[in-house]
Amino acid sequence: MLSHLRAELVLAARILMRQPGFWVPTILFPAMLYSFFGASMAEGPAGIYALASFAVYAVVGVGFYQFGVSVAQDRETPFVLWQRSLPGAQWVGWAARIVVAMVVVLAAVGMVLLAGRWIGGVIPGRGETMRLLVACALVSVPSVLMGIALGSAVSARAAVPLSNLLFLPLAYLGGLWMPPALLPDSVAAISVWTPTRAMGEIAWAAIDGRAMPGRYLALLAGWTLLAIALTALAQARHRRAMFG
Amino acid sequence: MLQAIEARGLAKRFGAVTAVEGVDLTLAPGEALGLLGPNGAGKSTLLSLVTGLRPADRGEIRIFGHPAGSEAARKSMGLTPQSAAFPPQITPRELIAYASARHGKRPDTDRLLTAFGLQRLIDRRMAGFSGGEVRRVALALAFCGAPRLAVVDEPTTGLDAATQEAFQSLARDYVASGGAMLLTSHHWDEIEAICDRLTMIDRGQRVLDGTLAEMRATMRINRISLVVDGAAPDWLPAPDTDGRRHLESADSDAVVTRLVREGVGFRDLLIHPLALKDILAHLRHEV
Repeated sequence: MLSHLRAELVLAARILMRQPGFWVPTILFPAMLYSFFGASMAEGPAGIYALASFAVYAVVGVGFYQFGVSVAQDRETPFVLWQRSLPGAQWVGWAARIVVAMVVVLAAVGMVLLAGRWIGGVIPGRGETMRLLVACALVSVPSVLMGIALGSAVSARAAVPLSNLLFLPLAYLGGLWMPPALLPDSVAAISVWTPTRAMGEIAWAAIDGRAMPGRYLALLAGWTLLAIALTALAQARHRRAMFG
Repeated sequence: MLQAIEARGLAKRFGAVTAVEGVDLTLAPGEALGLLGPNGAGKSTLLSLVTGLRPADRGEIRIFGHPAGSEAARKSMGLTPQSAAFPPQITPRELIAYASARHGKRPDTDRLLTAFGLQRLIDRRMAGFSGGEVRRVALALAFCGAPRLAVVDEPTTGLDAATQEAFQSLARDYVASGGAMLLTSHHWDEIEAICDRLTMIDRGQRVLDGTLAEMRATMRINRISLVVDGAAPDWLPAPDTDGRRHLESADSDAVVTRLVREGVGFRDLLIHPLALKDILAHLRHEV
């Protein structure tokens, strides 16, 4: 089992790290956006909330792009079929990919924190940083599951544009690019039902050291269950098509 | 002795299409079985049932006594799929290490490098590999875990003649050392060179099964080829463009005796047993 996990980790890391065109933007883009917009929009005490928002934005990006796109691409390649013929449980490969994704999440969130320090002048305390990292780890689970649902449901060709189509509006609607209080009323009414808003609320509560907001935890659990159900349906459809 | 493959009454449908219907298949260790059939006959579906990649609708498949697709079955098997593609960021050495780790074995890279002529490619990322180079890697991967059963689907498609011969030699050695091999190929000479036994599938059903020797014994027909000088008797077929006349007969001695008795002038007489593809054509016709 350990040698299998190690082999899957090495394979997943090599495949990802040898595509700098994929992981460099994933890691740098949230920090860049924060530097261009987040740092200037929320100065003073609000700055730390903006930092948390863009950290969540980085996490959701990994879920949508690293999983959404790669799951769709993998599904259409004979390599996955060959892997299924090898000994060892299939979930080990998924576990390895999630571990590698966590490393990318950590790097992307780390870059946002560095941008906060150097550009925004926002330096969260050790406790705030740790709580934010825990919140990011927590919201990475639904992010990854939503990415897998997306990748399972659509073709490889459709995955990238659809990820963009969902990810960017969801980031805006969820109040990750600007504080929810500044959103227009009509957008704010939608915002409270989006998974990104729930993720943001969890991160903001973590920064404050408040209890996780129950309403948003429940909302996020609902989105997560929806993603799992969509994945199950899509995978069943795929198995029927591929394997009869 | 446990059979490498023991399948009974396999059936698989895709919607209204019957891909495999009531097929039995056995393969012993130290034996190579050639799976033949026209395109769309159900060969690849049958291989996917054997490898456990697809579940059978009916019937049972055991690999060395274990259900197809089970961990124990996968441990004892190596697969070269018909269409192979690998992540372009990875090198053959890394893939060999990966497949070996999945089998819980140390990679036997040197042996595989030599066997499949991968020395020059081993540390190159696979982006830009030609079809033949990818095929060689796919073949090497089937033998990574020292499998007791190798399932190879059209192994040498796209390979040059030298690599085809190298594979045939490796396959014969593998089978001689006790390995079992299930092979599909459109190269009749390859099947003849490697396989002890043949199974022909057509429209999802097994239409022929037996050893090549048995089939030859059943079809004791020789192909006779000659050039006739002067007038030819009516019973000889018309000459080809090269001037040679070809006929098939179960009693070539009688044909030659008749030619001599009738005073037919002939030269360049060639008599040889039917090739595998001709035997199968005859047998299929009879079926």
